[in-house]
Amino acid sequence: MTLLMTASEINGLPVVTVHGGEDVAEVRDVLYDPAAGRLVGLTLNKRGFLAGRCREVLPAESIHAIGRDAVMVVDDSAMVEPDAAPQEMAHPPANRNVLGNDVLTESGVSLGTVRDLVVVVGGAGEVVGYRIDKADGRPGYIPLPAQLAVSGSALVVPEVTESFVTDDLVGLGAAVDSFRARLGLP
Amino acid sequence: MSVVAWLIVAVVVIVVALVAFVVIRRRSRRGGVIATPSRKGTPGATGRTTGDPKP
Amino acid sequence: MSESFRQAAGRKVVSRATAQQLGTVSHLLVTADGRRVAAVVMGKGKKASLVDWSQLTGFGTDAVMVGDEAALRQPADAREHAAAEGKLELIGRRLLSESGNELGTVDDVTFDPASGALEALHGGAHQVAADAVLGAGSYAVVVAASAGAV
Repeated sequence: MTLLMTASEINGLPVVTVHGGEDVAEVRDVLYDPAAGRLVGLTLNKRGFLAGRCREVLPAESIHAIGRDAVMVVDDSAMVEPDAAPQEMAHPPANRNVLGNDVLTESGVSLGTVRDLVVVVGGAGEVVGYRIDKADGRPGYIPLPAQLAVSGSALVVPEVTESFVTDDLVGLGAAVDSFRARLGLP
Repeated sequence: MSVVAWLIVAVVVIVVALVAFVVIRRRSRRGGVIATPSRKGTPGATGRTTGDPKP
Repeated sequence: MSESFRQAAGRKVVSRATAQQLGTVSHLLVTADGRRVAAVVMGKGKKASLVDWSQLTGFGTDAVMVGDEAALRQPADAREHAAAEGKLELIGRRLLSESGNELGTVDDVTFDPASGALEALHGGAHQVAADAVLGAGSYAVVVAASAGAV
């Protein structure tokens, strides 16, 4: 069974070592690559109510598992100094938060705003789509391959996307497949 | 004003400052969902991305 | 005959040499891999002392026997200091699968009093064999994903 989770459910989860049972950090930002449709990694906060930012980052390859209650890593060495991480992780651009972005079709019609990112739990951290708040206030889901461009203030999607906006997560899975087929993607 | 009134003002100021500190500190911990700029030479799934520096 | 952590708590620790009671068991500290009992912890905080499992001459149903008072020692490393503060006590600890899902909290742990090897963890509806334990720390006991309810 494929389990889907939203990125803001991952924000704030503790990072726990498998071979130690210690909570070594907690998730601050979820970084993803919109072109590749996968997670790049996580930036971290220190544990504790008022603790600050954690210097180390957690590349997606070092994540053992992302679950409902914790992000699991094998041990401390999963977290690396920013210098050792891919460049886009070391200095995450502050102006490219997609939450709240306007979703615009190519012809300039707004479909709503981005509420969240939908991620497959387990595996390689595949990102499958966006959860949006539609103009009428109801939730909707857009399959990820729909985006043409992401800027941090808006998401541009093709005209045909409107017909692929589904009302629930179950529909999203099917929509991802048919949308890929429609765009001629594998 | 009496000493008691000054004490009350001082306590209120301290409490407000503490609450503000905690709120600001908590807010600074809040993370986001960030789309990384795609690397050069690896165009998006549909071949176009914006927000990248022009070569 | 297996023992449990709950039953062991509060048991007398007695010196074999002098027949004097040296204290009572506060809790049992397990190794970081969560497979064996590493030491018996007596007292808490600054007054805590430990007896290594290898120093025990017997783990009986009525008393834990040690050679003499010299077997007692102070916490040495960070893990033992955390244990002295009670931060590593297994009972009440979160039970987390390696896939990152909470299974409940640990109610009790059974172990072999002859060898100190853990046998199983009991938590709510779950019973996890000790060989499925991957790690035990201050935040959680992590168990293999395959170790569901037995």
